Amino acid sequence: MIRTRKLSFRIIFRMLFFSVLLFMIILSYFYYFTRNTIRDAATENAILMANETVGRIEQILQPMKKIPEMIAAMMELQDIHEDSLFSIVETIVARNETIYGAAIAFEPYAFPDKGRYFAPYAYRDEDQIRTMSLGGRHYEYFYMDWYQIPKALDEPYWTEPYFDEGGGEELMVTYSVPFYKHQNGQRIMAGIATVDLDLEWLTDIVSEVKIFESGYMSMLSHNGVVVTHPDRTMIMNTSWYSNAEEWNAPDLREIGRDLRQGHSRFRSYYIPGRPKLWIYYRTLESNLWAVAMVFPHEEMYASLKDMTVLVVVLFAAGLILLTLIISGVVNKFVSPLAHFAHSARTIANGNFNEKLPNVSKTEEMLELHEAFSHMQEELAQYVINLKETTAAKEKIESELRIARELQMSMIPHSFPPFPDLPQIDLYATLQSAKEVGGDLYDFFVVGQRFYFAIGDVSGKGVPASLLMAVTRTLLRSIADKEKSPQGIMKSLNKSLAYNNESNMFVTFFLGIIDLYSGNMMYSNAGHNPPVWIKANGETSLINQARAIPLGLFEDFIFTESSLQLEHGDKIFAYTDGVNEAENNSEEFFGDDSMLAIIENNLNAKPKALITKMTAAIENHVMDHPQSDDITMMAILYDGK
Amino acid sequence: MKHVWLVFFVKFVMLLNFPLTAQQNKLVFTPHWLPQAQFAGFYVALEKGYYADAGLDVEIIHPLVTENAIESLINGQADLISLFLVTALRARSEGVDLVNIAQLSQHSAIMMVSKKTSGIETIHDFQGKKIGIWMSGFEEVPKALMNEYNLDVTWVPILSTVNLFLAGGIDIMTVMWYNEYHTIYLSGIDHDELTTFFLSDYGYDIPEDGLYALSSTMTERREDLKRFTDATMKGWEYTAANREEVIRLVVDIMRKAHIPSNKAHQRWMLTKVLEMYAYEDKSVQSTELCLQDFNKAVSLLKKQHIIKTGCDYNVFFQPVMPGIR
Repeated sequence: MIRTRKLSFRIIFRMLFFSVLLFMIILSYFYYFTRNTIRDAATENAILMANETVGRIEQILQPMKKIPEMIAAMMELQDIHEDSLFSIVETIVARNETIYGAAIAFEPYAFPDKGRYFAPYAYRDEDQIRTMSLGGRHYEYFYMDWYQIPKALDEPYWTEPYFDEGGGEELMVTYSVPFYKHQNGQRIMAGIATVDLDLEWLTDIVSEVKIFESGYMSMLSHNGVVVTHPDRTMIMNTSWYSNAEEWNAPDLREIGRDLRQGHSRFRSYYIPGRPKLWIYYRTLESNLWAVAMVFPHEEMYASLKDMTVLVVVLFAAGLILLTLIISGVVNKFVSPLAHFAHSARTIANGNFNEKLPNVSKTEEMLELHEAFSHMQEELAQYVINLKETTAAKEKIESELRIARELQMSMIPHSFPPFPDLPQIDLYATLQSAKEVGGDLYDFFVVGQRFYFAIGDVSGKGVPASLLMAVTRTLLRSIADKEKSPQGIMKSLNKSLAYNNESNMFVTFFLGIIDLYSGNMMYSNAGHNPPVWIKANGETSLINQARAIPLGLFEDFIFTESSLQLEHGDKIFAYTDGVNEAENNSEEFFGDDSMLAIIENNLNAKPKALITKMTAAIENHVMDHPQSDDITMMAILYDGK
Repeated sequence: MKHVWLVFFVKFVMLLNFPLTAQQNKLVFTPHWLPQAQFAGFYVALEKGYYADAGLDVEIIHPLVTENAIESLINGQADLISLFLVTALRARSEGVDLVNIAQLSQHSAIMMVSKKTSGIETIHDFQGKKIGIWMSGFEEVPKALMNEYNLDVTWVPILSTVNLFLAGGIDIMTVMWYNEYHTIYLSGIDHDELTTFFLSDYGYDIPEDGLYALSSTMTERREDLKRFTDATMKGWEYTAANREEVIRLVVDIMRKAHIPSNKAHQRWMLTKVLEMYAYEDKSVQSTELCLQDFNKAVSLLKKQHIIKTGCDYNVFFQPVMPGIR
């Protein structure tokens, strides 16, 4: 059950991981794209609203400009009596509702009987229109901006905004146009024609423009002074520049200066400690005042934020739903696996008839079911076969054990073998690689001659052991008739080679020691040369009289040789299982190691020598399985 | 024009703290300009009740832009006024029997400014240029400077705004470091776009704002004038220590008078005015008129033929604060 859950968990986890990754990529793109779209739309909207408002303002301002311009033109063209100017300004104010007042102000002493000041002026006083002449000691209009600046610049001028009479809240602005007279062919500045506009209508137009939640439109004078603003305390008091200084917001100063140069722009700006703001600003054509659309960054992107939250929520919900569906589907597909696992365990316990789970009709599951079912059948069949084989094997093994016992019983293994013969001390061992081996050794005494032999049958197992038994039996019987090693070898070879269709052979060393003289006759049929360990410590391999193994060629002539054993000399005979004993690294024990053991134990008795050698071989082989029979025989000649 | 709104505050009376106890002596003070941080110490003394504590019932009445505070003094509308030193000396030579009872500012804040684009780099470039100057009477020192350098310039009288200068109608504008200079800056002209000529750099570091009363008032109400000056100086001390609070007070007063105002500008003004008030760098005490400055002003005016005869320092300066002289 745990594995099933784990697998489904992993499938779901990976699917979700890639889903989320995909979603993040899509959302990022969506966010980026929408953000730009929103900004473009907001820009467009702000520009549109600003331009539309500017259009409405211009529609009122432009005709207003015409009035003083007309008066100025009229003053230059016609010689109008000064007293009729009062009715002219009165008519102008009466006919134009937007106009608060109008004046035609003259240079000092323009009319001899009017004194220093002459400026017919009409203005609204509630429902009435009053006229008066401006000027006086406390109203030196020549030095007022509306008069002085257009005069100095020689061009029309819009004043900065100002509050109306009585220090009320009504904002006013004056548009002044200079007019001239021609005297002695010269064009001389004669005075200024003006209209005063109450800015209430303008404030109304600008104030009603709203964008987003708290976005607003503001109007600022040419000097950057706030003319309309939602925060009324700022009107006329603060400007781009004073706010920039007060709030430590250089962006505002930058905007003000940009506007002074007549630029229009859509940009963001910062006021330290407040959220980011966006602004679109431009100037009015008529009076170079500025309008600015201002709105918070957050509000502009509020819809994006809402939309993003909605998308994320929807995705999260979709993800949960997807998880449930996928886990349902995956569990449905994967749950038979748990049943299969259960079946597999039951089958493993030997219950081959366990019913396999029903599976959905998917190709993979059907295949798995079929494979399981096939495995179940095969396993059942296999176990039956295995039982039979095991029974047979056990039978063979038991027979082999008997054969081994028989084989071992053929080889002399009681030591010391000849308690009555002081001349000979002998010890031998045979360690089979398998249950029955192909190595053999034998020794016996006939008269005053001591026979010893060591051999190795090619191959291993039962055939080798049978041939070994045959060889040993033949040796004993032939030794009765033949006296020389050569003769014995010849007979033995003949017997073994006869009808040897399986081409098996035996390496064989035969030695015959005259117990009294110490003379040793020997013959070697392809066997490892034994080591002659002399009592004086010299060692040498008995290399003479070497020939091919027994059993190969029926009529092969073997040779023989002899050597003289002295008191205390030893013969160490062995099979290739000794020097070719392998360890895990497939390294042989080797002739050198073997000879080194011998040289280190020159005075050892046969049994001690073989025990040492056995220990050294075991030390070399360690836990590597024995691949060949290991047979050793050591003979100490103690004669003479 | 509706600029007549100025009429409104000819009678704009500061009644922030109006003590009505009978024992208090009525005193009308008229500063020499419109409400602004230049007079912060007076407003604070009134607002914080320092005048009332001194047993005075003080009224602060500002003049019109076109008006001169001296007129208020002559016609008795004001018991004491503030004035520039040179303006006071001139008035005295013209027969107004006024005396300086305390010299507040110790330095000159008057300066001339031109746009870098006009190409005016040194004072010699002023030759033949149009220079804006207030028509309400602070022109003595700039004119003395032009005379000293033999510069033939056209003086263009200005009522109060810097708009003619901004519009390019004049080349140079006479301004106060603490006021119009910053107004120009607050109209979007950067400091580095302006060339400045501080009159003090040309040897005209003549003190400006001082308190003046008629000699007769001085004789009759010396104690009241002393108490007024004392309370005013306390007001200035408080101002120096609590600038932001006082700036708020000033802006509040200005807005009540419907004078456009903002904290940025009033902060600048207050900072600069307090610098002008510093007396530690001159060998004088607070409210003392430096004899050398006095002599310098007198000789300047004489050279300009603005005043004909000299004036006795000890007659002109009659300090009310104890320990001076």
